[in-house]
Amino acid sequence: MIGTSKRFESQTITKDGQLVLAKAERDQIETAWDRLKAQQPQCGYCEMGLSCTNCNMGPCRIDPFGEGPQKGVCGADADIIVARNLCRGIAAGAASHSDHGRDLVEVLAKVAEGKAGGYSIKSPEKLRRVAAEYGIDVNGKSDAVIAGELADAMQEDYGTRKSCVTLASRAPEKRREVWKKLGITPRGIDRETSEMMHRTHMGVDNNWLSLLLQGMRNALADGWGGSMIATEVSDILFGIPQPVKTWVNLGVLKEDHVNIIVHGHNPVVSETIVAACQAPDLIKLAEEKGAKGINLSGVCCTGGELTMRHGIPMAGNHLMTELALVTGAVEAMIVDYQCIMPSIGPIGGCYHTKMISTSDKAKFPGMEHREFHPENAHQMAYDLVKDAVENFSNRDPERVYIPVEKQETYSGFSVEAVLGALGGSAEPLIDAIKAGKIRGAVGIVGCNNPKVLHDHGNSGLTRRLIAKDILVVDTGCVGVSNAKAGLKVPEAAELAGPGLKEICQALGIPPVLHFGSCVDNVRILVLVSALANALGCDISDLPVAGSAPEWYSEKALTIGTYFVASGVSVHLGPMPAVAGSMNVVKLLTEGLNDAAGATFSVEPDPEKAAKLISSHIENKRKALGLDYRDIS
Amino acid sequence: MEKVVVHPERCVGCMQCMVACAVAHSQSKTLAAVYESPRPRSRVHVGAGPASEGFPNRCRHCDPAPCMAACLPGAIYRISAMETVLIDPDRCINCASCAMACPFGVLRFHEDLNAPPGKVIAVKCDNCVERQSRGEIPACVEVCKVGALTFEDPESAMKRKTGEVAKSVWAAAGSQPIGVSASADLLRAAKRAQMELTRR
Amino acid sequence: MTRHVIIGNGIAGLNAAEAIRALDADSPITMIARETFPPYSRPMISLVLQGAVGPEKLPIRDDGFYSEFRIDPIIGEEVTGIDVEERQVVTDKGTTVPFDRLLIASGADPRPVKADGVDLGNIFFMRTESHVKGMLEALPGVKHALVLGGGLVGFKAAYGLMHRGITVTMLIRSGHPLSLQLDPTSGKLVLDELLAKGLDVRVEIEAISFEGNGSVQQAHLSDGSNLECELVVIGKGVLPAHSFVSASGIQVDLGIVVDETLQTSVPGIYAAGDVAQAFDVTRRESWINAIWPVAVEQGHIAGMNMAGRRVIYSGSMGRNVIRVFDLDVLAGGMVNPPEGDTYEVLERNSPRLKVHRRLVLRENIPVGVAMVGGIEQGGVLLSAIRSERPLAVDPEKLLDPTFNYRQLALW
Repeated sequence: MIGTSKRFESQTITKDGQLVLAKAERDQIETAWDRLKAQQPQCGYCEMGLSCTNCNMGPCRIDPFGEGPQKGVCGADADIIVARNLCRGIAAGAASHSDHGRDLVEVLAKVAEGKAGGYSIKSPEKLRRVAAEYGIDVNGKSDAVIAGELADAMQEDYGTRKSCVTLASRAPEKRREVWKKLGITPRGIDRETSEMMHRTHMGVDNNWLSLLLQGMRNALADGWGGSMIATEVSDILFGIPQPVKTWVNLGVLKEDHVNIIVHGHNPVVSETIVAACQAPDLIKLAEEKGAKGINLSGVCCTGGELTMRHGIPMAGNHLMTELALVTGAVEAMIVDYQCIMPSIGPIGGCYHTKMISTSDKAKFPGMEHREFHPENAHQMAYDLVKDAVENFSNRDPERVYIPVEKQETYSGFSVEAVLGALGGSAEPLIDAIKAGKIRGAVGIVGCNNPKVLHDHGNSGLTRRLIAKDILVVDTGCVGVSNAKAGLKVPEAAELAGPGLKEICQALGIPPVLHFGSCVDNVRILVLVSALANALGCDISDLPVAGSAPEWYSEKALTIGTYFVASGVSVHLGPMPAVAGSMNVVKLLTEGLNDAAGATFSVEPDPEKAAKLISSHIENKRKALGLDYRDIS
Repeated sequence: MEKVVVHPERCVGCMQCMVACAVAHSQSKTLAAVYESPRPRSRVHVGAGPASEGFPNRCRHCDPAPCMAACLPGAIYRISAMETVLIDPDRCINCASCAMACPFGVLRFHEDLNAPPGKVIAVKCDNCVERQSRGEIPACVEVCKVGALTFEDPESAMKRKTGEVAKSVWAAAGSQPIGVSASADLLRAAKRAQMELTRR
Repeated sequence: MTRHVIIGNGIAGLNAAEAIRALDADSPITMIARETFPPYSRPMISLVLQGAVGPEKLPIRDDGFYSEFRIDPIIGEEVTGIDVEERQVVTDKGTTVPFDRLLIASGADPRPVKADGVDLGNIFFMRTESHVKGMLEALPGVKHALVLGGGLVGFKAAYGLMHRGITVTMLIRSGHPLSLQLDPTSGKLVLDELLAKGLDVRVEIEAISFEGNGSVQQAHLSDGSNLECELVVIGKGVLPAHSFVSASGIQVDLGIVVDETLQTSVPGIYAAGDVAQAFDVTRRESWINAIWPVAVEQGHIAGMNMAGRRVIYSGSMGRNVIRVFDLDVLAGGMVNPPEGDTYEVLERNSPRLKVHRRLVLRENIPVGVAMVGGIEQGGVLLSAIRSERPLAVDPEKLLDPTFNYRQLALW
């Protein structure tokens, strides 16, 4: 139809996305873009952070034009309300990641007790290394015993009995001093979230500055606590990722295979699906049903976890989760939690797709709930995959549309793998940075947001940064954006500036390295700490930055905040709900520089954002006494 | 004479006017109206502008009114006392000729408290004549906290605006003139920049 | 003192009379009307057929209208000639009415069909209140009705008859209903809706002859088939009613040709409404748009000019809105432009929202729109067409179901 393609081009830059959006329209499927449109205009009070529903004297809102009410019923002004709202968002994000981490620790504990069915310790080496960091004497102990002690120690980190979460010791000394000075050393993972919720209750903390400091401490408790535990325990249980070739986009779905997609965040469930998909009798069953095999792929971060460790292909990121179902080629979508739009159950229902929820904490409309627990997970997975295989006969070939060929990509760059590729230490990377061949590094992380042209913010910024000789590492949904754009194959070195290209070609690596899921952002913290320690400086002295060009989630707020609190300046694409308080805006964008050595910035345009970030990196180089370029 | 004056540049798109309007045209006149049948609906429609900013769209009570000229059964009439164009629910035949004539798109068609039960009629803003006759101001204005909807003499609104512009031109550096919001400007700029990218 | 005479008491004539009286309190106004029913809303007669309203709801001016506006009515007489030299009109009853300013607002008559047996009983046009009265009288003996034509009148007739519990067959010569108003895609949506609601619609077919004993009992169709029917409604459009003008020397094309003040080729004689052929803003040529709102605006402007206030009519524009069962249809301007590069056609079908929209542009100026479903913003689109100005924004925005007035601005 005339004008159609242009319209879908204003929604996503991805070919598969555009083509399947057209099918969605034909199939009368409502997508997030449609719902965003229906929500317009969105409430300006809320967009500015100026509405408060924290208590029942309210709800209250502040008139940004200065004539209407300037205080809530309790007397809170714009600064207090904006700060409280932002901090509650940070608390929610921290809670999400950290609760995800807790589930992994519980599996680790069950493994120690021998009650965790098919789960085991895949990386005893890392188990011992991390246990040692927790001060556990590992000599002469079995993996199971160490796992038990480590699980215990980690659970302590969640509580209130410590003065500092254990893994914060990984941060450079100078950074820990900054935290101490600001009074934001994270004491306990759950404690900081709990205190954040306490402080934002009516009549507790009504100083916007100290609220925001607690917000930072809360975020740090996630970054150096819950999220870091999530990643480390995932590596211990499922293996440390190593570079692996894989594929991405909706082309990874196979017309002649049983297609199963895992969606969500936690590898605890999806790892069991990987195992079940390899069961010979289920593969044989698939063949009996007329399929050539069982094809597992992932969307969102649980997909990222599987890609990192097994090279399981990724069908798409957040905004592709609905569209993946619209292909009509999916026998089952298995979800755990986080970022699973409640819209997808009914969408699956429009096709033959079995929609299965697995977590006791996350149930969805239009989905069948099959609760996974460590004890039964492997059997549950087997049964589920079997049902998916049997569902192949219900597929309507007329409604199947796999729009594109799959794109090759590389994944699996854990810190261990990166250091391995560099010959065991960060030295070669530091040398390349010192020599100016690599100007610096940027972690591009976060989500998709239908307010932003899909994948344009993510891959658009990445493309521009590598061209400026800036090494990019990506996680979460950005990982898929960049993979689909073909930026994560060694040949993409051609798109990099001359210096970065030379290094990539010498090492045989892409200019963009996939670091994993969104909890895996902590891998970036570990890497920048290693770099700072090697240089004897603070993280905030490094020529590095973070960016979330298409963020939507509260988790992204938390990540951004722990990056900044750790000394990494962060660029955001969409504006967070803080515009209502110019004091908060100024603190986040300027004031924090004095306190934490890093700030937030907002710039939706990837072209301008690339300039902004590159200029920041060159300034850091200048301060380090390295050669620098004038970016203007 | 006081009238509802719309200041679209002030609208933050919170849609409280819509809620208030629906409630004002309900049986109970409270939020419990959501359970009434027919469910009352708003006569003011907050749509999205080009940068997704709020835009409160309501009947202008034009004179002459194109809807009135186009109305087939002669159901649309004007009461000069409140300078208000009204629709007679009994005469209305739900033909949508008014929607075809209205250059602002303010007409909707649904059942209404004032219409015979089960009858779909054309509905639009009635300037809250019922409230005004009780000495109250229109419901949408009453709830608008940002001054996007005011109830005043349009002439004096005009004068006030002229004064504001003058003040903003002559305002001493650093002082923030009333009616200007750095917060709203910042948000608008960010949203606009975002929109520009999808317009390529 | 100017003697005003208005031929016709339809909506154009009424508006003219009111406009004259608003500007001139004293001059005499004479109104000559063929129909004896008080001035009424012609588009509403189908509602009487349907049973939705009684005939008493049809009048759009109350009983005191003529006296209130001090109009001298001559009712039940038909004008048979205009003597331009002597400045007077003559009626079929021999009445002679002198004038200084004359408005011809005689409207239009249904277009007849050529078929054998068309004079049989129970074969009706649907144009006047008395036609509907006749149909209502015939209804008790009717099981199956035949409607000729898939235009607005055909539609309303079919809709009305179905509400009376009568089985209806509709014959359409073209490929889809409302072919003058809609593009084929929109027309197909309407057709599907009609069929789904149980109307027997047959396209690309005509009736050749009718048979019956006094009143119609059977129709013979162009495909060789026969159809039992006890009632036939002819809705094949209208022709301007100006036979009485021919000898006067007033310039007539299809309708009576008028200039930008709605004056005919003879000074002091004006025409408005279905009989007048004025400039069409989207076609950029002289054209008859025989629709109610055009008659309203033309009557009003002609009246002002007759009263001595020079007012320019920017031109007419075809537009219609109709509710077909559960579908709302609105269309205006040039929906089906001529082939070629001059026109750009944009379409958006949103089946999930049951909305279809078509926009026709000429050099980025909107000139035509067709909407099926979601018609609330139709007036905004039509007024954008009427403005004859290029769009400041991407025309795709106008197709969006969430489009509103504010989005016509760039920022």
